[in-house]
Amino acid sequence: MTNFSMQSSPDSTVRTPESRSTEFVPVEGGSEGTSAGTLLVTAYFVMWAVLLGFLFMTWRRQGRIEQRMAELDAELRRAPRKP
Amino acid sequence: MKTKTLLFSTLFAFTAFAFSVLLYLIFFVVPQAQIAAGGLAQKIFYFHAPSGYAMYLSGAFCFVGSALYLAAPSDSRNALARAGAECAVVFGIMMLTSGPLWAKKAWGVYWAWDPRLTTTLLSVLVYVAIVVLRAFSGDGEAERKFAAALGVLGTVNLPIIHYSVQKWGGNHPTVIGKGGGGLAHPMMKLTLGIGFLSMTLLALLLVWMRTRLAVSATALARAEEEAMALTADGEE
Repeated sequence: MTNFSMQSSPDSTVRTPESRSTEFVPVEGGSEGTSAGTLLVTAYFVMWAVLLGFLFMTWRRQGRIEQRMAELDAELRRAPRKP
Repeated sequence: MKTKTLLFSTLFAFTAFAFSVLLYLIFFVVPQAQIAAGGLAQKIFYFHAPSGYAMYLSGAFCFVGSALYLAAPSDSRNALARAGAECAVVFGIMMLTSGPLWAKKAWGVYWAWDPRLTTTLLSVLVYVAIVVLRAFSGDGEAERKFAAALGVLGTVNLPIIHYSVQKWGGNHPTVIGKGGGGLAHPMMKLTLGIGFLSMTLLALLLVWMRTRLAVSATALARAEEEAMALTADGEE
């Protein structure tokens, strides 16, 4: 995979018009600057969100089924029957 | 009925306890690995690898339910096949979202078309296809059989994922098993072991819940049909 970075002077304290980036060049290997802590917390947050979302959907669907069962039972009690 | 409820509650309690211990070990006890392996981000491994294993386990439930359904159709077998595919998708998503976040630190990129990553993505997509098929094509006999056949065929890919690292190489590490260097610290081994135990319990719990849900949904559909027939007879 290819990332794009700015080509700049190694000495970041001295800024001259000549030291500014004049082009973008691709570098291999990507950025190493991403915080490991942020990645760790993001990974666990996403995994728990997926799991809890799935549990919530299951619980809600089970509730809807039970509610419909109760409605159906009530409808059948009220419905006219064949003699 | 009471025995089932008690068993379910016990399984739930054990799962919650195992996950509490696992999270404590990951964030407070287990040391971080070398920088080349991702440093602190390597701790994603204790959820990532067990999620992959839980996907295999759910896929195995899907395979068993599908194969049994094709041999002798029944509502409970269909429900098990359906539940297995749904849980395989959930664990697959957990694995495919956590892996790239770890890879970003260890490899410098989120994704590489490595044999294991590619075959895993393919397998998750097969289970997604089964879930989508079952959700949108109705619950008729033909649809059930087609989904069951897909469930059997989809599981064939699982051993390919497992052995792809050994056969075709790639970026994905082989720490555990044949050719792997193992985990150097005893706490790493313990944490991974508890990770596998926690995910096994979670997979059993989720497959159980989704199977029960699928059985209830089928029972409701049948009851609605019977009720319609009864009320139609009553009105005549």
